[in-house]
Amino acid sequence: MGCSSSLPDRSSRRLSGLGNPESNGVPDAKNLRVKLVLLGDSGVGKSCIVLRFVRGQFDPTSKVTIGASFLSQTIALQDSTTVKFEIWDTAGQERYAALAPLYYRGAAVAVIVYDITSPESFNKAQYWVKELQKHGSPDIVLALVGNKADLHENREVPVQDGMDYAEKNGMFFIETSAKTADNINQLFEEIGKRLPRTPPS
Amino acid sequence: MSMSATSSSSSGDGPEPNSETLENQFESVTIEESNRIVQKDEATEEPQLESSFNGSLDDNGNHEEFDVLEERIEVGSDARGIGDSGGGVVWGTNSELEVDGPSSPSSSGYAGERGSSSATSASRIGEVSEDEIQEVGNDGDVDRILDSQVAWVPGKRHVDEDDASISWRKRKKHFFILSHSGKPIYSRYGDEHKLAGFSATLQAIISFVENGGDRVKLVRAGKHQVVFLVKGPIYLVCISCTEEPYESLRGQLELIYSQMILILTKSVNRCFEKNPKFDMTPLLGGTDVVFSSLIHSFSWNPATFLHAYTCLPLAYATRQAAGAILQDVADSGVLFAILMSKHKVVSLVGAQKASLHPDDMLLLSNFIMSSESFRTSESFSPICLPRYNPVAFLYAYVHYLDVDTYLMLLTTSSDAFYHLKDCRIRIEMVLLKSNVLSEVQRSMLDGGMRVEDLPGDPLPRSGIASHLGQHKLPTDSPERYREPYSGIGGPAGLWHFIYRSIYLDQYVSSEFSAPISSPQQQKRLYRAYQKVYASMHDKGNGPHKTQFRRDENYVLLCWVTPDFELYAAFDPLADKALAIKTCNRVCQWVKDVENEIFLLGASPFSW
Ligand SMILES: Nc1nc2c(ncn2[C@@H]2O[C@H](COP(=O)(O)OP(=O)(O)OP(=O)(O)O)[C@@H](O)[C@H]2O)c(=O)[nH]1
Ligand SMILES: [Mg+2]
Repeated sequence: MGCSSSLPDRSSRRLSGLGNPESNGVPDAKNLRVKLVLLGDSGVGKSCIVLRFVRGQFDPTSKVTIGASFLSQTIALQDSTTVKFEIWDTAGQERYAALAPLYYRGAAVAVIVYDITSPESFNKAQYWVKELQKHGSPDIVLALVGNKADLHENREVPVQDGMDYAEKNGMFFIETSAKTADNINQLFEEIGKRLPRTPPS
Repeated sequence: MSMSATSSSSSGDGPEPNSETLENQFESVTIEESNRIVQKDEATEEPQLESSFNGSLDDNGNHEEFDVLEERIEVGSDARGIGDSGGGVVWGTNSELEVDGPSSPSSSGYAGERGSSSATSASRIGEVSEDEIQEVGNDGDVDRILDSQVAWVPGKRHVDEDDASISWRKRKKHFFILSHSGKPIYSRYGDEHKLAGFSATLQAIISFVENGGDRVKLVRAGKHQVVFLVKGPIYLVCISCTEEPYESLRGQLELIYSQMILILTKSVNRCFEKNPKFDMTPLLGGTDVVFSSLIHSFSWNPATFLHAYTCLPLAYATRQAAGAILQDVADSGVLFAILMSKHKVVSLVGAQKASLHPDDMLLLSNFIMSSESFRTSESFSPICLPRYNPVAFLYAYVHYLDVDTYLMLLTTSSDAFYHLKDCRIRIEMVLLKSNVLSEVQRSMLDGGMRVEDLPGDPLPRSGIASHLGQHKLPTDSPERYREPYSGIGGPAGLWHFIYRSIYLDQYVSSEFSAPISSPQQQKRLYRAYQKVYASMHDKGNGPHKTQFRRDENYVLLCWVTPDFELYAAFDPLADKALAIKTCNRVCQWVKDVENEIFLLGASPFSW
């Protein structure tokens, strides 16, 4: 486990006023703070991934996200830097699609999730990649995640397809299972390693 | 029992209701009738009763005014004519709904909305509680027993049903939303997509009538009422054999429509301008649970017909402390700050000139409580308050402070999240420090007013320190269970009451206790209140009204003044004079504890 225990929000430095801590620039290069957004079709498991990562839990009852949820989690990397992820877990429901810019604006990382048993969700993931390439921050770190890897007997999106698409678009790729916790921490550690170490000026 | 009395009266120029009690109006009645139970002689024997109650007593058990009501609607909308002449359509629909036959347990159980591991938590028994098909078999009693034990389970049921299933046709109350081109949008039971044919039939009826220049509102077909509501390109339909008054069902359709507007805003209409055949169902993805929970609340939440909200009972100072910190954040650019525990308000403030309608509060809290994801973490979501502005989204920051208590901060600014998060942290700190949260939790456990605790002394008492004027005994004290009325309601056979303050837009409802303890009994009582409410608010009645109604289930007494409305339910054998006296005591009691049960002053409604 590469995760340090979660720091409760309240113990962190308070952000005051309307100031929006969207800039990844933190004074200390050893203690990064990044805004991360999860995008993808409804039901692919975005919330389950986040709750597995932040709380170590998996709740199989589906709780469709409304608008977006905000959670944070800090991890320590091998090189003794810490990364505090401020995570926007967005709603995949169609009616919220137009709001996505609200949540990905200024994000340093976007995690685009699909369900390996659903080709439609893979298509939707490609839609999000294109949208972020057009409208996201220029230096945004993109990750493509094929979730529900535990359901391999129902797999409809071959690993190779995900890998190829990610490579073509300069993305980091991983298959995960929020249910079994497989690759969940690895996903966030790998993202942490790929973050630019010097805050953009 | 076949005794039944219905009467109502208006006396427009009544004195201040607070200065004259209900009892005074009936003073002589009270004295002379104190030992009387039988109602049928009263009208003739007591001229005072005549003058106050306008003496149209109905002794034969019929609720005359409801028949009149039906006629008015049907004639008004010419629906009877349609029902008869267009029989091919309307009655055909009806005969399908009335198909008899053995109950078919065709439902294979609740299926989650989606996902590989869909929720199977709702058992078959769970479904029975909302099945409402008890009349089908002879095992109604069994169902009822199950009903009373099983809590309502959220979510859509019977998705495998369609209009060909007998079980679907047997449901007592259907709700549909469809587009003007006949595309299904929502159905309470069954899968919308499988109901395309049925939707088209409904659409045909509505447009048939509309083309004739009429707005069809109600079609009566045997036991069934079909109520229609047309909202631009969106049609809403209720098919019910619950015998609820037309006004109630229509009000429920209005709420369902508003719930949809809360999720999408009225600008969804534009989709239909571009494409009349537009399929709206994807836009409402994942919201079945919001609608089913609203529909469920029609049978337990009086806010759905009173158009008022209710507060969690709290010491005045405690609510003030909560209000002060909310006011603080409202001054920093928050439009509305609302703190609630379940469906009860702890405190709320609005920015200057912003007013929040009780229906919007109902729909907002229903939306939040029924959407499980709000419980997992802090959320930021667009929502629309239909009564505030039906065409624009507001942004809601939502955070649960404990299992039941949640804070909602509403703003017009889409990027206010971090500010609202800061506000929440400040609010939470103050609430914790000033013990508001623990008081809230305690009040949730203690509950509200209990008819058993109705003070015997009608004079206002001073120096009440205990919760709601009760002289509380420790919970573990055996005395608690030896109260004189426990198990049989309150004094004079008082079982339950609802008091609604007109100026405050708030109501208070007593806790349910034996003999009205099962959800079925509670639902039946609410339906009875609803009926009385509809008849009291029937246009053409004066502002000052009373009604006394006795049937085999209850005595219902209601009193509507320009300041407040009181609805009280008594034992069916209750003495009328005593009941009237008891209602006065209830009003006095409410006044004595109004500091604790209502949110006073600083109400955004008064601006
Ligand atoms: N087998 C399996 N099921 C999963 C996994 N992750 C999520 N699920 C299931 O998929 C369903 C949807 O998961 P959510 O996390 O709510 O999906 P979401 O992407 O957040 O959906 P929206 O909030 O609507 O956008 C849930 O019922 C989970 O039980 C997984 O790794 N394996
Ligand atoms: Mg989600």
